[in-house]
Parts: sequence; structure tokens; C-alpha cells
Amino acid sequence: METLSDTTWDVIIDGTGASQSLLALALSRSGKKVLHIDRNQYYGGSDAAFSLDEAQEWAERVNKGEHRSTFKDASIFKHDASSSEETGISPKLASSRAYTLSLSPYFLYARSQLMSALVSSKVFRQLEFMAVGSWWIYAPEQSDSENGEHGAEKVLYRVPGNREDVFAATHISMKSKRTLMRLLRHIIKPNEDDASNEDDDMSMPLKDYLASKFSVPEELHNPLLSLSLSQLSQQDTTASYALPRIQRHLSSIGHLGPGFGAVFAKYGGGAEILQAACRASAVGGGVYALDTQIQDCLWRKDAEYSEHRLLLKLANEGSVQAKCMFSSNVDTVPKEGSTPLVEVARLISVVSATFPSLFPVTVEGAPVPATAVLMFPGDTLDSPHSPPVYLQVHSSDTGECPHQQSVIYCSVALPGPEGQALLESSVDRLIRAEGLPATVLWSLRYTHSGRLSNGEPRRLIPDDAVPDCYVFPPSSLDLAFEDDTLELVKEAWKKVVGDEVDDADFMMFDDRDGTSDQ
Amino acid sequence: MSEPASANAPKPSSSVKLVLLGEAAVGKSSLVLRFVNDDFQENKEPTIGAAFLTQKCSLPTRTIKFEIWDTAGQERFASLAPMYYRNAQAALVVYDVTKPSSLTKAKHWVAELQRQASPGIVIALVGNKLDLTNDGGDVSEAAVAAQGESEEAQAGEEGANEEDDVQDAVSGDARKVSTREATGYAEEEGLLFFETSAKTGTNVVDVFTAIANAIPESSLKTGRGTGAGTGQTSLGRSAEESRVNLDDRNAATAKEGCAC
Repeated sequence: METLSDTTWDVIIDGTGASQSLLALALSRSGKKVLHIDRNQYYGGSDAAFSLDEAQEWAERVNKGEHRSTFKDASIFKHDASSSEETGISPKLASSRAYTLSLSPYFLYARSQLMSALVSSKVFRQLEFMAVGSWWIYAPEQSDSENGEHGAEKVLYRVPGNREDVFAATHISMKSKRTLMRLLRHIIKPNEDDASNEDDDMSMPLKDYLASKFSVPEELHNPLLSLSLSQLSQQDTTASYALPRIQRHLSSIGHLGPGFGAVFAKYGGGAEILQAACRASAVGGGVYALDTQIQDCLWRKDAEYSEHRLLLKLANEGSVQAKCMFSSNVDTVPKEGSTPLVEVARLISVVSATFPSLFPVTVEGAPVPATAVLMFPGDTLDSPHSPPVYLQVHSSDTGECPHQQSVIYCSVALPGPEGQALLESSVDRLIRAEGLPATVLWSLRYTHSGRLSNGEPRRLIPDDAVPDCYVFPPSSLDLAFEDDTLELVKEAWKKVVGDEVDDADFMMFDDRDGTSDQ
Repeated sequence: MSEPASANAPKPSSSVKLVLLGEAAVGKSSLVLRFVNDDFQENKEPTIGAAFLTQKCSLPTRTIKFEIWDTAGQERFASLAPMYYRNAQAALVVYDVTKPSSLTKAKHWVAELQRQASPGIVIALVGNKLDLTNDGGDVSEAAVAAQGESEEAQAGEEGANEEDDVQDAVSGDARKVSTREATGYAEEEGLLFFETSAKTGTNVVDVFTAIANAIPESSLKTGRGTGAGTGQTSLGRSAEESRVNLDDRNAATAKEGCAC
């Protein structure tokens, strides 16, 4: 039988995270010989999705610190099943494989470049997308102004995402509505307003910008911050960061269908997308080997090796020759001048409730959302200076958990026990706000280090020590897929296919025979 | 089951992800080719990596669209299969009725699926190359086919039995795995079981129809067999209502994609 060493590879891709897997997809019809390996026994690296048992094993490995990792301090909580038998109401935890839990849960805006690439590469046919529906703000202090009987429980407010929403919103005053409409118009069509001194103002904190430029009342600051998905507090988020991202949100709504602006891939989000990309690469002849680690990498300068200068020693498979290699950031120490890494606290909770009120269908003909985004401002969690907490609530329509249960992905840009305490308190408040007899059946806590996007495009990093080796920069901890990843993948693709291939051919593929609907 | 379908309404349609597994050269791709195109190729090239095909299967009450992942039997690193059976609702595990070792491999696959795949996955065990046995009908044709097969076997790992195979084939029966043995195993493990011939078409459509019928209603609606299905999603609406349809819009999106 053939061994890996018998082939001279054009490309070796090390790691099966999103960037590397998308590169494998981009090269799937290039005729290049691609060897795609991962040191782990599973796909996805830090973008992986796990069953409960796999998550348990993962947590143990993280805590052992076997090799450098972007994760630390993982711990798992399991609800004591005997106590739920007493109450007799809670659905119990199902079998391990009934769950698919993402380490890096992110969704895609409808106008994301990745969305276009998935469509043009025909990979979307192997994926199912669910709508990300409403954005909600936790605002307990506003409940005083509500005089309805259910006022006490009404602490979550839907963030208006378009003009119709603004008009329909019952919790915003007429005056606020007018300023909000003016702001939304400005964000969508900035050129219509005369904004000569715009640049100076954009470095202001978002809240100052909103107040001084548009007299936006304070009650709307948090809702607008949530649309930007900023992981920093009001004070630390600049207008130049937030406004384009609010624009991204607003302009995405309706792009792929009525009533929503973002989608989530069923069965594990990014983890499902990257596996679909790897499958497409395998259909094109890419060779896959998990549990395979590179021990040593040698660049040979002698003329006889001019066609394949790299010699890589693999842990189990001997040595392989290649022209170039692309890897991830795990083993590389961030360089001077590159974006410093930050740590966020993450919590994944499996809850025995469905939160139907978080998934309204707001427009006729819209798909039923499977995901909702909730923001808990720091001050509502008795921690006024902390950054906001984000919750992504996933219904069982995402295929990630059994019926009658939900998965809640929580994150805050504040690591350690302090951050974890905020996450837990947010989940508690959500359950209490919904007034449901819900129990947290299972949860996983961990610290994830990466980078917060700052609007500056990332570049592929050439390896200092070895020519023809390139490193994808650290991935982002954002809730939404960061679009410049596609630019990085394109840059890498270009290095492999060379200049004779037209840029416009990137990710443009026909349906393979027998795979279209007709 | 839940509500009576109106006579004029189009039948509900569901996608089912199906993965083919089995040793090299047992005829996995040929089964798919027969099912999808009603065609057969002698001496088909081995599948490299994997292949993906789709085919609709019409049942009295609904239409099933199979999304078929055909894996390469020679895949050496066992790294691809987990990606294919992830979230698969059905698996077709194929062996060659003339090759006992291929049933052993099939049993390994069944065990791995039961250990790793989605709970509630429907598994069908399929003994292919029925045309090479006495049950397969035309004897002379079977013998010719066996010649072709023996060439294939040379490329594979087992050269030793090759002479016998040809002998048996000429005598009209190359069967080495009895129907009774395979049925017994399939019953023990709760698998659907068929013997097929991709070459003549015997039982091929039947396998896929049986799988389509065996997929639980709840799994069709949620896309995953979670076991305790009520036939409803958590929000009391069918999963089709929550699926975002990109097909209607993909042309427009693709255009925008390359314009920037």
C-alpha cells in the first residue's frame, strides 16, 4: 500500500482549523497534491465541535497542558441526575452523541465573503443553514417603566434591526425613535450627510459619538453596541470600530431571505463548515491524516531538491517531501508588533428549556430562527466596568442538542473566575427572566486566547526559520466569522497556484456530476 | 402521522445524509452508480478520496433526497470516514459475497458506526456481487465478470485465493459468504440486510427504499436521530420551516461574491 513518503506533495496543510480547511477547499480542484494533516484525532483544532464524551476528554487534555494550546482552565459540570428525578419535571441529559458543542461558536453574516465562497464553491449544498434571529438586551432597570402585569419578568428587550422594527418597538419613546432612524439612515448611507470632520469624531468612544453627533439617548447605547458585537465596554469601543459593524448588521438583514441577517451552519457551526470544506478537498483527491504531528521541518538548499525543498519528519509516518507548507498559530509565539492576544472566558451550558420567546418570527415568510444573540451589559450584572457578556442561545433546531433542550454559548472578554462568574450569573438571569422551570444539565467552562478583531486586516506570516512555510495568524474570538480570513486563504492559495491562475477563479467551482438538484 | 396530508399537496421532502463504507473493490461506487444513473462500469477505477452524489427516492407519503457520500475503501489513514458519518442518518456497509475478509471489515465498520456515529443511525449491511453466485442468474455472464474481478484482486492484497475464485466462477458459484451467516449477523446487530448486484441491478433500489422507509419520522424533521423524538422540534414547528434556503438566491449571491 502507498505511504505518504511515496508522494512528493505540492502542499502540506498542518491543522484543520477554519483557515486551513478553507485553503484545502480552495485547492480542491487545482490538481495540486495536497496532504492535510492534524495532530489531533479530531477535525477543527480550536474550531472543533464535540459530543459530551469528547468534550470531557478534551478538557482533560487541556488541563494536562500536553502541548501549547489556545485553551486553558477547562472544567465540566454535570447536573446531579438523582435530584432531577425527585422533581420529575426536567428532561434529563441524553446520550453523549446527542450533542454537538462548538469550542468557537460563530455565525456568518449574510454578506460575509465566506457565504459567497461557500455558494460559489458549491459547498453550501452539503450544509444546512439556520437563521440567527433576534438580538436582545438585558435591561432590568427598564422594567420600572413597563406598567403591564408581566412587567416584573420583562427584562429582555428586542433590539430593532431595521426601520419596521423601530416603528414597532414598544419600549422606545417617539423621540428616541426619531434619533434612531436618523442614525440608521446615516449608517446605511453615510455619504448623504455632510461629514467633513467625520474622521476626528470616529476615534471617540461609541457612546460619546452617539450622544454628541446624533443625540442618541442613553437607553439606545447598549442596543447599538450589541449590533456591533463589540466585546469591549461602551467606553472602550470606538465609533470607528462599531459603526462599520453596525452597518454590516443592518445591511445583511434580508439579504438571504426575509427577517434575518445572519446564519449558523447546523450541527456545529464553523466546525461543520470546515468539515464540509475538507470533504470537498478529499473528493478532489486531497489526502487526510489525523493524529499526525510534524516533529521536524528541514529546508534543503541543494539544487537536486529545487522541486521540493521541504523535508518534514512526521511522528508516525516517516518523512515527507513538499514544496510548501501552511500551518496554524498554535506553536508560534506572537511576534513583536502583531496584535496582542487576549483571553476570554467561555461557558457552554446545556439547559433543559427551549426559550420560545427568544425566537420570534418577526416578518411574514421568514424562517424560524434557531439562534438568538443576547447581550448583558456589565452594569446589569453588578459589574459596571466589565465588558458586556454575550449569550448565543441555540434551539434544538441547530441539531446540537435533543428536543426540549437548548445550548447556550456564553463569552466575555474577561478571563478567570471573575469572567466565569459573570457568565454564570447571565445564564441564571436568563432562566429567571423566562420564568421557566429550567435546569443547567451540563456545562463546560474554559479560557480561550485569541485576538479581538480591531478592523486591521491580518496577513499570512512567513515562517522566520524555514522558507516556503507560512503561518495563519491567530483566529478571532468574535461572535461572527471574521471576513479577512478569506483574504488570508486567498493569499495562501495564490502562493500555491501561482500567478498564471486568475484571481477571479478563487473558490469558483461548478457542481460535480450528479450532485446538483436537477 | 401527525396530520392527514391533503390530496393535492406536494409530498413533503426531506434530505437524508447517507455514507457508504466497506473494503476496497467491494462495489460501493458501483452500487451508487446503479442507484443514481442506473448504469454499470466494468473495471471501474478505484475511488480516490471520496465522491458525493445525490438522488431522490419517492415513497408513498414523502420524497427522500439522498445525499450520498461514497468513501474510498483504500483510504489508508482512517481519517476521512469520521467526517462522513458525522450527522449521517443512514449508512450502507458493503461487503463482497465472494470475499470473506470483506465481511470482517464490514463488521468493523458496523462496530465503529455504533460507537461513533449519530445515535439512531440506520445501518444497512449489503452483500454485493450477487451476480457471481448461483443466485445471481445468468451463469456465463457471471463467469466473465469474475475474470474482470480477478484482475482487480491482483491489484489488491489477496492474491492467494484468486485461482480458486476463477475456478468457482467458471463452475458458476464464487460465493464464499453464505446468506445465512450474514443474515444472522445482521439480525443480531439490528441491521437491514440485502444481497445485491450492482452489475445486474438486483435489489439495488430496494436497499435505498428500505433505508428511506426505516428513517424515523422524528429524525427526518430534526435531521438527527436523537432517540427521544416527539416528531416536533423544540418550538413545535417543523425543521423545514427553519432551514434557510440558499438555492433560490445562490446565483445572485455568487455574482456579488466575485464582483468585489
